[in-house]
Amino acid sequence: MSASTADTLLSLRGVHKRYPGVHALKGVDFAVRRGEVHAVVGENGAGKTTLMQILAGVHRPDDGELTFDGRTRTFATEREAQAAGVAIVFQERSLFGPLSVAENVFAGRHPSRFGVVDFPRLHADTAKLLERVGLTVDPTAAVETLSPGEQQLVEIAKALSLNARLLILDEPTAALTPAETNTLFGVVRGLKSQGVAVVYISHRLEEVFALADRVTVLKDGEGQGTFAVRDVTPQVLVRKMVGRDVEFERPADRTPGNKVVFEVTGLTDRDTAGRVRLTDVSFAVRAGEILGLGGLVGAGRTETALGIFGGRPGCGGEVRVNGKPVRIRSPQHAIAAGIGYLPEDRKDAGLFLDMGLAANVAAATLRGVVLNDAEQDRTGHRYREKLRIAARGGDEPVRALSGGNQQKVLLARWLEVNPAVLIVDEPTRGVDVGAKREVHAVLFELARKGTAVVVISSDLPELLALADRVVVLRAGRVAGELSRERMTEEAVIALSSGVAR
Amino acid sequence: MKLSRELDLLVVVYLAVIVFCILYPDTFLSHKMLLAFLRGMSTDGILAVGMMVLMVAGVFDLSVGAMMSLAGVVAGTLLMKHHLPVPLAVLAGLLVGAAGGLANGLVVTKLKVNALITTLATLGIFKWLTLLLGGVSIPDLPPGFAALGQTEWPAGTWNGEPWGVQTPIWFMFGLAAVAHLAMSRARWFRQLYYIGANPKAATLSGIPTARVQLIAFVLCGVIAAAAGLAFAARLGAASSTAGEGAELRVITAVILGGASLQGGRGTILGAIVGVAFMQLVNTLLLVARVEAHWQWMVTGVILIAAAGLDSWKNRGRSA
Repeated sequence: MSASTADTLLSLRGVHKRYPGVHALKGVDFAVRRGEVHAVVGENGAGKTTLMQILAGVHRPDDGELTFDGRTRTFATEREAQAAGVAIVFQERSLFGPLSVAENVFAGRHPSRFGVVDFPRLHADTAKLLERVGLTVDPTAAVETLSPGEQQLVEIAKALSLNARLLILDEPTAALTPAETNTLFGVVRGLKSQGVAVVYISHRLEEVFALADRVTVLKDGEGQGTFAVRDVTPQVLVRKMVGRDVEFERPADRTPGNKVVFEVTGLTDRDTAGRVRLTDVSFAVRAGEILGLGGLVGAGRTETALGIFGGRPGCGGEVRVNGKPVRIRSPQHAIAAGIGYLPEDRKDAGLFLDMGLAANVAAATLRGVVLNDAEQDRTGHRYREKLRIAARGGDEPVRALSGGNQQKVLLARWLEVNPAVLIVDEPTRGVDVGAKREVHAVLFELARKGTAVVVISSDLPELLALADRVVVLRAGRVAGELSRERMTEEAVIALSSGVAR
Repeated sequence: MKLSRELDLLVVVYLAVIVFCILYPDTFLSHKMLLAFLRGMSTDGILAVGMMVLMVAGVFDLSVGAMMSLAGVVAGTLLMKHHLPVPLAVLAGLLVGAAGGLANGLVVTKLKVNALITTLATLGIFKWLTLLLGGVSIPDLPPGFAALGQTEWPAGTWNGEPWGVQTPIWFMFGLAAVAHLAMSRARWFRQLYYIGANPKAATLSGIPTARVQLIAFVLCGVIAAAAGLAFAARLGAASSTAGEGAELRVITAVILGGASLQGGRGTILGAIVGVAFMQLVNTLLLVARVEAHWQWMVTGVILIAAAGLDSWKNRGRSA
């Protein structure tokens, strides 16, 4: 302990944080050294975000001690933490889309003379910061015209503009392509060499092993220890996180039927700017089969799903369900034709956050003139039991549920519709490992009963565990198809990125 | 469906009535006063039903007051200048409401112009149409039409005072009761709550979001026209200023009654209790002999207080 005190930039000792009904942190110790990349891992609800909010001055601990740069401190506000040199880049973007990159980087802190913004200096200062994060965009460009990866780098530039000595990144790669992730890694390594300490929160263990020097594991609000990354294996970390080894299970007796129930032919679409997003996408799914749609973010997987489901007016192509061509102009038609779609962003496009479980489950099966509330409640209760949804009652707003339970509510909505075809888009994003398995079990069960399932997932191990067959998209076209025997992570990645093998 | 907001507000109204009865026992505690109170709130009460339907679906209509005036003037013109029979004039007034609501709805759902801009614009257009057709006012409407707003039922007197309740009051309660049941039980109306709570998720659940909102605008337009016709009948005159300021009063009442600008919440009962609360405040100002212009100020303060209370209650809530 004493040997490392000198190079410790920040430390927390015995930190507690309680929210109404939740003891979020139970005496956590945490220390960050100067110039290290320190990963924090744990399941959802383990307390990672709460810990970071305490570091960044967003929340104050109920108990415990925070030492920064050798001095005991309390960060009463984010501004105090920033002034001391702690900057945080949150999972949710905090950018102003219509404003320029420069005005985003220096939001509220424009260099000015007598109240007049000094634009030449603003742009020059921004250009310097952009260079540090390896971003080659015009400082006067509107932020909304940048890709998600570029926006992430703008966020980091913004944090650096505060002369951060400790930079906290919360799930920075969640919306990035592999190429953008690589760029980000380069930036983080560069910052490290400049002496900036980086705290890196991630769900993706491979990123931890690629980037971090040390890693701290949290579980249920308690620290499970800090390890040098070179001394541990992913399996060890996963065991610390969940208390058990996790590997996706796959029923041994997967036997999809032979009858083709779902055919998509020649799906073609452009976005509002007129760029081609889908070109002649075709595939077929048999009854009881789980088809994986692979590809990088932006390859057209979600566009394919929405195009089929009537969520993209103007998308051309033919869709057949049970051999019959169906004309789909809106999700309403798609559901009537026997197609269901579980959207990738559950809060934005799936849930009615202030409504209860029962009302959320019923959303796609509102029928008749007069609704039967009692029956709706019974249905909700049935799924609560069946899918083990941890909700207090049918009336509790689903806003209060964890990500995994929210996802189960959405699954229940589609189980109740019982479509011939169900497309699930990132069904376990931001969901803890235990809930992932439960979601998988539901999808396998659905397929066993004869539903044709299409799975979109950026989590390759998940995609490979679920799918009987994978169709890989690249730049809006079908790049290739892999049977179960030929499905490996390497094969999918090769097709996704167009690497010849 | 939980009615906590509605019950809270009812308790406030009830307590206020008791206090006023103690303060002004002679004026307040009479059948005549009660009837005047209900009559005073009947127009806003009718409008509030349509407004609540829209606000639950996440939109609203600033043109209801202008539509009220327009419908009255259309019916008045047809009766006085063209000597149309009463039922046809009433029908024409309601059709004008439907057309106005349809226009609002089409601009909002097809052209994707937001409801504030759209209905502020149509407020201006309806006002112009009203003045073009009827001038400032059309007095002396025929008795057959006036009867629609002045008939008392049941007939008879009690202690020398008329006992019956006027038609607009019956109409308000009837409409509110039907609408309340529909909003809590009927599938079509339940869709409004889903749309208001999360339009994207509603669309992806197969709910025809745009069409439902469009029809809600039409309903609101027809209801506003009905309020205008009832008001003109009650006064026996169609005035171009009949609905002036109604949008402010009605939106205030509906927000007070539990609606949110974000949509997804509120009940018809809440809307009616909200209107009753506003009427109570106005009655109090009247009884206390405060000059009429104060009502505007008080309404504005209540609107900010109601909306402020909601943001304060929802503080710290994300997404």
